Amino acid sequence: MAFSHSFEYFRPGTLAEALSLLDQYKGDARLLAGGTDLAVHIKENMATPPVVIDVKRVTDFPGSRVSPKALYLNASTTFSDIVNHADLRKAYPMLWEAARSVASVGIRNRATLAGNICSAVPSLDVAPALLCYDAIVHVASSSGTREISIHDWFISPRKTACLGTEIMLGISITAPAVKHSGIYLKQGRYRGEDLAQAGLGVLITSDLQYRLAYCAVGPIPFRARAIEAVLNGKVLTAELISSAKAMVQDTVHPITDIRSSKEYRLHICEVMLERGLKAVEQRLNGAEFDSAEILGG
Amino acid sequence: MTDYRYIGKSITRIDGREKISGAAVYTDDIDFGANLLYAEIVSSTVAHALILNIDTSEAEKLEGVVKVFTGKDFPYKFGLYMKDRYIFAQDKVRFYGEQVAAVVARTPQIAKMGAELVKVEYQELPAVLDQMEALAEGATILHPDLGDYPHVPWFFPKPGTNVAHWRKTRRGDLENGFAEADHIYEETYEVPRYAHCAIETHVAIGKFDYSGRLTVWSSSQSPHTQRNLFAEALAPMGLSQKDIRVITPHVGGGFGGKAGVTMEILPAALATKLRGYAVKLRWTREQEFINTYQRLGVVAKLKLGVKKDGTITALDHKIYWDAGAYVEYGANVVNAVGLSAIGPYRIPNVSIDSVCIYTNLPPGGAYRGFGYSEMLFGLESHITTIARQIGMDEIEFRRKNAILEGDKTAYGAAMNPNGLLEAIDKVTKAIEWDKEYKSTDPNKVIGKGFSLFWKAPAMPPNASSSAFLKFNEDASINLIISGMDIGQGYQTVMAQIAAEVLGVDPSKIRVETPDTDRNPYEWQTVASHITWSSGNAVKKAAIDARDQILALVERVYHMSQDSLYLEDEAVKCHNQASFNLPLRSFVVEGIATKDGSYRGGPINGRGMFMPEFSSASGDPDTSQGGHPNVHYTVGAGALILEIDKDTGKMKVLKAAEAIDAGKALNPDLIKGQITGGLLQGLATVLYEDMRYDDKGRLLNPNFTDYKIPTAMDVPDEIIPIIIEVPQPDGPYGARGVGEHTMLPAAPMIANAVENALGIRIRSMPITAEKVAMAYKKHREQ
Ligand SMILES: Cc1cc2nc3c(=O)[nH]c(=O)nc-3n(C[C@H](O)[C@H](O)[C@H](O)COP(=O)(O)OP(=O)(O)OC[C@H]3O[C@@H](n4cnc5c(N)ncnc54)[C@H](O)[C@@H]3O)c2cc1C
Repeated sequence: MAFSHSFEYFRPGTLAEALSLLDQYKGDARLLAGGTDLAVHIKENMATPPVVIDVKRVTDFPGSRVSPKALYLNASTTFSDIVNHADLRKAYPMLWEAARSVASVGIRNRATLAGNICSAVPSLDVAPALLCYDAIVHVASSSGTREISIHDWFISPRKTACLGTEIMLGISITAPAVKHSGIYLKQGRYRGEDLAQAGLGVLITSDLQYRLAYCAVGPIPFRARAIEAVLNGKVLTAELISSAKAMVQDTVHPITDIRSSKEYRLHICEVMLERGLKAVEQRLNGAEFDSAEILGG
Repeated sequence: MTDYRYIGKSITRIDGREKISGAAVYTDDIDFGANLLYAEIVSSTVAHALILNIDTSEAEKLEGVVKVFTGKDFPYKFGLYMKDRYIFAQDKVRFYGEQVAAVVARTPQIAKMGAELVKVEYQELPAVLDQMEALAEGATILHPDLGDYPHVPWFFPKPGTNVAHWRKTRRGDLENGFAEADHIYEETYEVPRYAHCAIETHVAIGKFDYSGRLTVWSSSQSPHTQRNLFAEALAPMGLSQKDIRVITPHVGGGFGGKAGVTMEILPAALATKLRGYAVKLRWTREQEFINTYQRLGVVAKLKLGVKKDGTITALDHKIYWDAGAYVEYGANVVNAVGLSAIGPYRIPNVSIDSVCIYTNLPPGGAYRGFGYSEMLFGLESHITTIARQIGMDEIEFRRKNAILEGDKTAYGAAMNPNGLLEAIDKVTKAIEWDKEYKSTDPNKVIGKGFSLFWKAPAMPPNASSSAFLKFNEDASINLIISGMDIGQGYQTVMAQIAAEVLGVDPSKIRVETPDTDRNPYEWQTVASHITWSSGNAVKKAAIDARDQILALVERVYHMSQDSLYLEDEAVKCHNQASFNLPLRSFVVEGIATKDGSYRGGPINGRGMFMPEFSSASGDPDTSQGGHPNVHYTVGAGALILEIDKDTGKMKVLKAAEAIDAGKALNPDLIKGQITGGLLQGLATVLYEDMRYDDKGRLLNPNFTDYKIPTAMDVPDEIIPIIIEVPQPDGPYGARGVGEHTMLPAAPMIANAVENALGIRIRSMPITAEKVAMAYKKHREQ
């Protein structure tokens, strides 16, 4: 496969080196992690960075840690790392399911969680989980580090709060203090790998707090706070679910594109909400099932 | 029943080890050394326009660019059935993606950079993107010179319009037929375009040496046809068939997309202007979607008349094909279906209009099924509906009207022997049609879908095959033929046929990929005719070799040929159990006589097959009189479909498909075709869809948004059923099955959706979204 675009390529071994390269090429450089997003764009001339800085060999990203109380995943973490992590699966099922729903094994072996949220496409699968768990994104520049709430991270399609001179170091999550469970539902066009037509993350806690986040149905992934407000503090009943569903039309504003019509997206958002709420409640109560079957495969 | 040693056995594929181990060489694998150049194509960025100017100066300045070519360098036409296209666009482009210029460079990257520097100035013309618009009064005419295009005698273009060919078939008295009917049902069905999606994209390398010889290595289903079309197109440069050599290594999938000539003409032509160099062109996946053949789009208007008892009295079938910018191959799809749009039914009064229409979309061409999938989607949807309308079981309806041996086809010839009724019965039983299927999940419902299918090879009446067979010292054999193993197992089956005649195990027979210099003529590996046609040629070549062997033994040992037979690599005698002459002792070296001299010598067989009964010269207004199709292969399929009522997601729980193979030369290979074909058919109905914007640009030239199934999308259970009603003129009774296996998929799904949800979807694809939205609407009403 030929690339017509030529660029300078660096592969730093340390964070400091990477940051100094970023400073040196201010604005002209793009970071490369798994390349599953960036390489495709360069091939199609959709991205033409004069400089590419490959961070795959950076060895001093702060280490990843996973416990039921809190989690930190660094920028080297691939989706396969997440999928293969049994403790993570148990403690953060929504994040695990989102990771598993990304592409296929070959892509997941390279694609990173960092690249996913930095790509900031509307359909990115891990966004609902990070939004529901109120994740913090850690970034570094040559002048220090800063923390950005995931709620401030997504600005517009393909644009994040991360500056051109910054590197994302990792994300952290603090689990809700009480018993909780989550689920990620992804509607694709078939069972094989697909980008989401719509995605929904649902988090539930034993003290009846609900968190809902959609992706692929708006310019950026978002929390459906108005619907959460209706649900919070209440036990799920058929009636409550209907009133939550009735709010979808005013909360979600999808577009029509090659993957789906706007009308179908809206319809699916309602179906997902109903089935997601029921399933997550069952999961909180100990039920075990494969969420991939919930929307009919 | 005859007892065969190798025929009818599921012999392991002889090319299996080569392919599994990675030893198999594909076109892109061949190393051409330092003199290899790379071509990149400059493609049209508009669907319909005059080319005002092409500025190649910037590209020519780029270091590493060897030469830039445009249409001016090659003012030559080419085409299989109708010569309606040029190697490069001349004064006009007619589809988005059409080749306008080529940059040849030292590396692929420089070629690509060069191509981006070529500036083409267009004056846009109105683009005609829909076949019904193309037919309308006042439509822009794509080919004002249509009347001058050379074409085969069985095409009927209408110069001054966008109709490139109009196949009319008329039988009986249509008006009377509808008058006799108790019930008439009319509907329109739509099918979009589809892409083949072979895993290996098109690739070809041309090399023109200083002796004046042009060699083309290509990933192709049609080496000899390519050679002939190259020779025709490049004749002005003084090239003839003998100067051109086409070598076709293993192919990574074809599905019709690598039949005839598409992009291969480009490196072939470019090479002629770059003597001594090899010039390589390889399509990217995007180009593969945009600038090869596509399956044609269809609007079909059906009117069917039936009596109360279910007898079909009349069919009026009008099929309008979106054939694209050039129809040199696609027009024959239109022709084939125009002769066969009655489906596998006995219908006394018939009118078929199959209309080939130019549009400013990529050229339509061969695609597995050759138009029959598109036609059957409407017809088999219609049959299920009309049976329900008259209160008759749809299977009984199909049984009642099923075409039987001796019944008349649409063009008046007698139907060949076939096992259609057996197929219906076996599928009904295998799928447990009468069983109540009910989902335990309240969100889901289950439906059943049924469909019949048929298809004939679509070929010129004189399409032929030939075979050479040579013995080696150890009685192993090289079988030299020119069909392509595109995954169907052709090489294995041909080895089985030779093995059966000669008593040599198939593992001792080597079949190589073709080289037109050395391998004998084969028309093309298309039309599901190769087992039948090439199989007949191979059988004749093997019989020729056997006859030479037996004649030699008779001459040397004075034994009657009638008493001799071949078995276990030896000549044996019915009358003399002790006689056992190993083939290896003489098939090359001859038989020694007492005086030390030898008799015989190397045994080389040759065989040829042409269907001499076939003729395309039916009446232009009725299609009566000729014998355009050599035979039809028939079958039936059914499936059980689970549908999520809210999301529309569908899952095939179980599918059964029966096909009349005449004789299953290798049952496992047929089962493979049933599984693979069914899956490809299901993909076209459930997921795939070529979507164009209002400028004629394909919106999904990639697997991100053009969905072909993964292993996760395979039905839970597929029951393959082989029927064997012998084809009298087939090798051991065999006829083709390759394309057919995908034909029933789309109507089965449409019928199952109606059965489950009470909604009839008349346009493909039938995606989860379409089902969910249609059902939502249905529920709200
Ligand atoms: C076949 C295929 C299927 C796919 N399916 C899915 C899917 O189902 N769901 C989904 O969400 N995505 C999907 N993707 C998109 C892509 O794989 C993911 O977004 C992936 O997570 C990107 O990660 P990466 O490591 O490959 O990123 P890269 O391509 O290397 O980078 C992506 C972006 O992130 C930036 N970046 C990378 N690392 C850092 C860092 N440390 N700091 C700051 N910026 C950084 C890069 O500069 C670039 O802009 C698919 C892609 C392909 C090719």
